[in-house]
Amino acid sequence: MSDSQQTQRQHRIQTETTGSDQPPETTSGETVEETKDEWVEYDFRGAAKMVAEDLDVYYGDDHALKRVSMEIPEESVTALIGPSGCGKSTYLRCLNRMNDRINAARVEGSVQLDGKEIYQDGVNLVELRKRVGMVFQSPNPFPKSIQDNISYGPRKHGDIDTGLLARVLGRDDGDAERELVERALKQAALWDEVHDRLDDNALGLSGGQQQRLCIARCLSVDPEVILMDEPASALDPIATSKIEDLIEELAEEYTVVIVTHNMQQAARISDQTAVFLTGGKLVEYDETDKIFENPESQRVEDYITGKFG
Amino acid sequence: MAGAAQSRLVEGDTSVTDGVAGATVGLSAILFALSVAAMFEWVNLTGTVSGLETVTLLGGLLISLGVAVSAFGLGSWFGYVETEPDASAGLIAGVGAAVPWFVIGGGVVSQTLGFGTLGGVGGGVLAGTLAFVATAVPREDVGSTVPLGVLLAFVGAVFLTGTIGPGWLWDLGWEQQASITAEFLVPVATLFCALYGGWAAAKAYGRFGATGRHMGAYVLVYLNALSIVAFLFILIAFVVVQGVPGLLNGVRVGSGVGPQVFGSFELPVYVPFVMNGVALLNDFQGVLPAIVGTIWLVVGAVLFAVPLGVGAAIFLTEYAERGRFTQAVEVSTNGLWSTPSIVFGLFGFAFLIPRFGNRKSLLAGMLTLGFMLLPLVLITSREAMLSVPDEYRDASAALGVPKWQTIRSVVLPAALPGVITGVILGVGRIAGETAPILLTMAGGTFVPGGQTVDVIGGFEFTGSPPFVANPELLQATSALPYQLYALITAGVGLGSNVSDPDGFRWATALVLLVVVLSFYAIGIGARYYFRQRLRYE
Repeated sequence: MSDSQQTQRQHRIQTETTGSDQPPETTSGETVEETKDEWVEYDFRGAAKMVAEDLDVYYGDDHALKRVSMEIPEESVTALIGPSGCGKSTYLRCLNRMNDRINAARVEGSVQLDGKEIYQDGVNLVELRKRVGMVFQSPNPFPKSIQDNISYGPRKHGDIDTGLLARVLGRDDGDAERELVERALKQAALWDEVHDRLDDNALGLSGGQQQRLCIARCLSVDPEVILMDEPASALDPIATSKIEDLIEELAEEYTVVIVTHNMQQAARISDQTAVFLTGGKLVEYDETDKIFENPESQRVEDYITGKFG
Repeated sequence: MAGAAQSRLVEGDTSVTDGVAGATVGLSAILFALSVAAMFEWVNLTGTVSGLETVTLLGGLLISLGVAVSAFGLGSWFGYVETEPDASAGLIAGVGAAVPWFVIGGGVVSQTLGFGTLGGVGGGVLAGTLAFVATAVPREDVGSTVPLGVLLAFVGAVFLTGTIGPGWLWDLGWEQQASITAEFLVPVATLFCALYGGWAAAKAYGRFGATGRHMGAYVLVYLNALSIVAFLFILIAFVVVQGVPGLLNGVRVGSGVGPQVFGSFELPVYVPFVMNGVALLNDFQGVLPAIVGTIWLVVGAVLFAVPLGVGAAIFLTEYAERGRFTQAVEVSTNGLWSTPSIVFGLFGFAFLIPRFGNRKSLLAGMLTLGFMLLPLVLITSREAMLSVPDEYRDASAALGVPKWQTIRSVVLPAALPGVITGVILGVGRIAGETAPILLTMAGGTFVPGGQTVDVIGGFEFTGSPPFVANPELLQATSALPYQLYALITAGVGLGSNVSDPDGFRWATALVLLVVVLSFYAIGIGARYYFRQRLRYE
């Protein structure tokens, strides 16, 4: 898979062998702060879409994410796996600054989107979240019609206007709206199932359909990166496989980052996998095949083979 | 009964026992209905019901209910009826049985035997203790039936023997000359006896034990819920029956008999009570100005309070950080909601009236009621917004939609049914308020029809700021609750040609009820509509 033309990237993963949240007082009276830098060499098929460097996240006094640095290559699926509370969702929410919505959260470090720093003053969150969309763990369509769910984002951004005033002035974008809804629903592989009931309430759809609707809603604002936080964890196996097929298709056009608890899922759909382990540390990040067949770290191997949660 | 501890999965063929027990429950339901009917004087105590004197009938039914209930308990005890009783009927049942026996023991010893108050208390305690012991100590089947069965039979015997007949009266000898009459005592005693009997019979129907307790509680709770609904309907029916004659006084139907509306269209009906004011030459007097005043009052208060309350709720839920400040606002809002209405009225009288032309006015009334409505709208809107799932807000934020747009397009529509519920409750309160109107708005009780407040037509454009004026808003006017109050208590002149003052008052009450219920209906309809839009069809 690697070729000489493709960029060789070196990636550094810092592993703190002792937790800094241990009480500093030990019997010997001194704290051990040993930091080991690991250099993992691997190559990506494409250019980096997003780059996180030395990212730290605190929830109040809780140090949830510790010095995470990783690059996310474009037009591929990057899976984040690890046990509960390991910081993978926190990391995901850093990528479109959703952590800003939690008052107690504090983010330090740097995240770049196409080389532009997103953690600096003057970043337009509206623009950022349009470019970096998000799909949540449980399907959360608005209590509106299917069509309104899809056209909600573009309407609020002023891309389409079907309001009363627009209709009176003859600037109605009804056709554009229908086109957009159809395109998004087709992309999310939902069009065939709902095209004859676009005006029905979205809450009447099944769980799997609702989740695909949420993906379609995310696609409606034409993002570049799609963040998915365990998108299939609340769904049955059939709906899950539909979502997985969809993710693989989306990766041809979009950059997908997916958090999952399901290691088979990560192995099936992702191009590269990052393993977070307890304490908010990124332990290993590599090609998915490498991670699952021949991981560098013993802890990662234990986790993947189920010896260690 | 040694086998009683064994419970069985499938009951044997016990249809006869079931039938008798069910009939006993039915008997207590009949007694309950009769006692309610007697309380509202639909059944006359001195008269007859289906050929029997009422008191005799009640007494006979009570005795048979008591005998039937006791028979079940004893039948179970001696093993004739298969049941699964617990070891004891329990403390609560014991206390429940002790209370009526305390009353009976006290009454008999102090009044019938003439031992005075102290003796009465002694007798009451003795009888109550005996009933408690008889209920709580024996096995459940006897404990929860026999003491109550004896109670029912005793009360029935008192009625049957005429010890307490229709003409019975117990003069309490207090300063206020208070006395207890048979018209009060007989229905109330029957009511409680029917509840006790129904409870015991339902337990027997469920064969005691866990099922029996369930059945007993079910009967009591069901009767409770039923009586609440029944009370509402009785109240409304009462007002309607009393009010309709006055309302329909002088009604005519036919083309061209009604007043003109919308220019030249003439209504085909003429209901003078709701289409007239008061005037010397009117054939029939009416309350039209008060109806219009009430409607405008509510509309004005809602228009004032809803935007303010919802806006404050948005700020508190979506923008303000939880902390001291929001807590303080919450506490003061709740305090404001429990503030007596007369205090709001005084505020309007002392603060608003001097600022609006120094006289009572519709505007001052609207604002006063608006202030009363504000806390409830705020509280309910806040609750409704807090219950909107955060997932909606997250989803909207993840699409890059700014906060205010999210609130307007997602949070508010989802919270709207809750907000409307708050407004419905609040309107129900303010539409019937008398005290604040009395102090801030009310003018004469009998306003001529020509002085009906015309808010829309009252707007005038003026040459100087604020360029618009509405003298109608600054007029005193009347409202139905105030008018009713004035009619009843003050007996303010009814106009010279109201032939039936009581009918006029009842009709006013009926119209007030209809106006308030119409606001309710509008609110409930709106809530239903917005809920439908949120839910899936």
